[in-house]
Amino acid sequence: MTAAALFQSILASLPEIVVVTGACILLILGQLVRKGQQHFLVWASVAVVLIAALGTLMLAGEVRPAYSGMFVADRFAVFFKVVFYLVTVLTFLLSRKYAEIEGIGSSEYFVLLLLALSGMMIMASATDLLSIYVGLELTVLCTYVLTGFLRQQQRSNEAALKYVILGGVSTGIFLYGVSLIYGLTGTTQLDRMAAAVTGDQLDPGLLLAVVFIVAGLVFKVGAVPFHMWVPDVYEGAPTTITAFMSVGPKAAGFAVILRVFLNPLVAASNVWIIVAVIAAVTMALGSFVALVQDNFKRLLAYSSIAHAGFAMFGVAAGGADGVASVMLYLLIYAFMNLGIFGIVIMMRNGDFSGEVIEHYAGFAKSHRGLALLMLLYLFSLAGIPPTAGFFAKFYVLVALVERGFVMLAVIAVLLSAVAAYFYIRIVMVIYMREPEGAFDPALTPAVRATLAFTAAGTIGIGLFPAWFLRLAQHAAIGG
Amino acid sequence: MAVPLLSLIVFTPAVGAAALMFIRNDDVVRWMALAVTILDFALCIAMLGGFDTSTHEMQFTETHPWVPALGITYALGVDGISALFVFLTALLGWICVLASWVAIDRKVKEFMVSLLAMQALMLGVFCALDLFLFYVFWEAMLIPMYVIIGVWGGDGRVYAAFKFFLYTLAGSLMFLIGVIVLYFHGGETFDIRTLMAQHLPFQVQSWLFFAFLIAFAVKVPMVPVHTWLPDAHVQAPTAGSIILAAVLLKMGAYGFLRFSLPMLPEATVHYSTLMLVLSAVAIVYGGLLALAQDDLKKLVAYSSISHMGLVTLGIFTLNLRGLEGGILQMFNHGVTTGALFLSVGLIYERTHTRSIADYGGLMKAAPVYTAFLALFALSSMALPGTNSFVGELLVLSGAFAANLAVGAAAVLGALLGAAYLLGMYRKVALGPASIGMRFKIRDVNAREMAAILPLAVFVLWIGLYPKPFLEIIDASVKHLLTQVQGKGGAQ
Repeated sequence: MTAAALFQSILASLPEIVVVTGACILLILGQLVRKGQQHFLVWASVAVVLIAALGTLMLAGEVRPAYSGMFVADRFAVFFKVVFYLVTVLTFLLSRKYAEIEGIGSSEYFVLLLLALSGMMIMASATDLLSIYVGLELTVLCTYVLTGFLRQQQRSNEAALKYVILGGVSTGIFLYGVSLIYGLTGTTQLDRMAAAVTGDQLDPGLLLAVVFIVAGLVFKVGAVPFHMWVPDVYEGAPTTITAFMSVGPKAAGFAVILRVFLNPLVAASNVWIIVAVIAAVTMALGSFVALVQDNFKRLLAYSSIAHAGFAMFGVAAGGADGVASVMLYLLIYAFMNLGIFGIVIMMRNGDFSGEVIEHYAGFAKSHRGLALLMLLYLFSLAGIPPTAGFFAKFYVLVALVERGFVMLAVIAVLLSAVAAYFYIRIVMVIYMREPEGAFDPALTPAVRATLAFTAAGTIGIGLFPAWFLRLAQHAAIGG
Repeated sequence: MAVPLLSLIVFTPAVGAAALMFIRNDDVVRWMALAVTILDFALCIAMLGGFDTSTHEMQFTETHPWVPALGITYALGVDGISALFVFLTALLGWICVLASWVAIDRKVKEFMVSLLAMQALMLGVFCALDLFLFYVFWEAMLIPMYVIIGVWGGDGRVYAAFKFFLYTLAGSLMFLIGVIVLYFHGGETFDIRTLMAQHLPFQVQSWLFFAFLIAFAVKVPMVPVHTWLPDAHVQAPTAGSIILAAVLLKMGAYGFLRFSLPMLPEATVHYSTLMLVLSAVAIVYGGLLALAQDDLKKLVAYSSISHMGLVTLGIFTLNLRGLEGGILQMFNHGVTTGALFLSVGLIYERTHTRSIADYGGLMKAAPVYTAFLALFALSSMALPGTNSFVGELLVLSGAFAANLAVGAAAVLGALLGAAYLLGMYRKVALGPASIGMRFKIRDVNAREMAAILPLAVFVLWIGLYPKPFLEIIDASVKHLLTQVQGKGGAQ
């Protein structure tokens, strides 16, 4: 590698380097910060992300391949990285007070989040199965630890252990698929794989390899049949981490899935049928099981499974609109889901766990504004216009119908009608019940800002989707 | 168009709703809501003043790009049919505010905000010239209506609100798929005028017809997807019932007129007999159910099903008299049933019972009130001289021209109407004063008079001189008929 190529590679991956370096510095600084000064860590972490974001946007002008084809900084990656920055910053803001209440505000918490961010960024930019693997592992290793951060609580530990074991198995399956691909094609680079296959594209070996890779990735986005870890992990993890995992690593998983599926080799193997089945089953399971949940976090876990299913429909549709629809879906989902999680996190104060839906009864009576925000997020998650959630679903449906998959679109909307039930049930609890006790939400300025920002996104993208749509469409075609 | 009049009409209540959120005093909230709705009504009168009845073209049109990448525009406009319903919606807006003046005594602000939001969305539905925009308005209505029923409703409000929400949502989602399919078949546009000019293959038309049918039939509601209506009506507060009966139910029929007939003419003609039969079933079945009710609101709710059957019957006769009668009947039903729900609401505020068995001899205690009740009951059963007579006569003559058996069913429905309405009136107003002995019943006061009198005026106006109303819709209906018959073949 010449010096010029090395420089280009470093330039292309500058945002990742910034985040990793920042994380390392914070790890050291964290030991020097005195007790009671922890807010410094929050702002320093936010600053690191913002610097990386600035770098990403400044370098966004052109496509920058790097590290001999293992990595690329293109518009597709930029779009996802912006989503990751958004998610991470909002998680930091939500964590400030929550971490204090739960007593988990040590520097490692923030460092691990930053490292997870760098892993997600690598996933979005990776163009080689091995660099995908590196990003994937970096992300999940951090989230394993973060899941178990409530060390005193049994369910947090249980969740972390479950996550590690199942995650390890799925990684193994993924790697096995990669090794098969390497054996059959002699390369792990996504764009070289197709050219390397000369014979029958439906070679059973290749198909097996693709299925293994799909299985590994499906685990990361929490789709059926590899969804079993989601409810337990989401319930056991600190709520801020649940919020983070439900949007960040999930979006990163979809970034990889899209990159892999855009690959002509995979596209030729009729894998969309598998994806369509996964999408339908995932959405059905998420929607139906969520109907009977009493725990808010568990309900949101199943809701996130259902949403992963809906986004999967966009993957099944494929094509430029299909890819763009998934990307837009994930962006919008980040806003509305972080919004509703922001509420749950805020409610965790004193003896109030904020996790039991029934405990929100009559919330609208004492907190009109916050209840209205909840109503907004919930109707958006249910996909009712004029919120952004509707447009996200609408565009996926457009992509499906465009490709002639009308039946899939019908299945998708019928299942989203089921899903609507459990969202509006929460609206019913907060608006149509009498309160049983007083509420004392931990409403700090940082939480306020987060809620305002997510609400603005939820309603703003719903009313003026044109700009965001164009952004996703431009990013979808790579370039 | 220099002044975006329709945008003003649609967004005045929305801006009003936003402004209300910052007001703390309940009385100020009430007066402001009233002011906003009256302003909106005035704008609507101004719109009708400038309305040209000689053309079927869309008027007061506004078009702005909204999501150019998908061909979505923000396009508003009205023709004769929609103008009539914009007027009806704006009229009932302030009547609903008056009807909720004392009936809603908790969370007044939230209620008025929901009511105004609802009005903005309903007006938007009738004005939209872009299918996507239409769908956004159509579906967004679920949010305020769910809240209105669920928060301020009766004892079974939660169940009723859920049922309403899920029925309508499930119906609308099939419509959404239909809209997207139409988008790709119609040249990647959501513009309603462009889509009307497309000619789709019969196969596609058939599928779309049924996709649309599910959505519109739930809203109308047609038998057998009517079961949400009695629950929603009975549990909703008075204003909610008025909105549901007077405007929301019209949207299903409006959907048929705006989309099914002009865009899917061949399928419409092909399946018109099915629709006629479904309508006839609704007329008779709704009437029979109304006959058996003891709850005043339930009685009116089931009579709504019967009367809306008459509307869809008129529409699917696909001849001029049937269509004009059907549309006029939509307006009439809005006025009359709105008035009936208002009357029931007024008496319920005094006695807190809706059971017909509890009433009797009301005429002695509240003569003015019973006079109004008599007028609206007579109007509902289509006595000559009232509004429904004109509409029903047109529908019946259209129905007999289209299908004898269906016409006979419609007549049977009218007879049933006379039976349950007169029976209700007899038990409530005449006879020994059962409830008047125990309660001192106050007659109609000035505020209530202001709400109920305009509706009575419309009942008699249309009954005696329907010409101005028929003139508004005339050109549009004739054009609609050429659209159906031109492409669908003469029936």
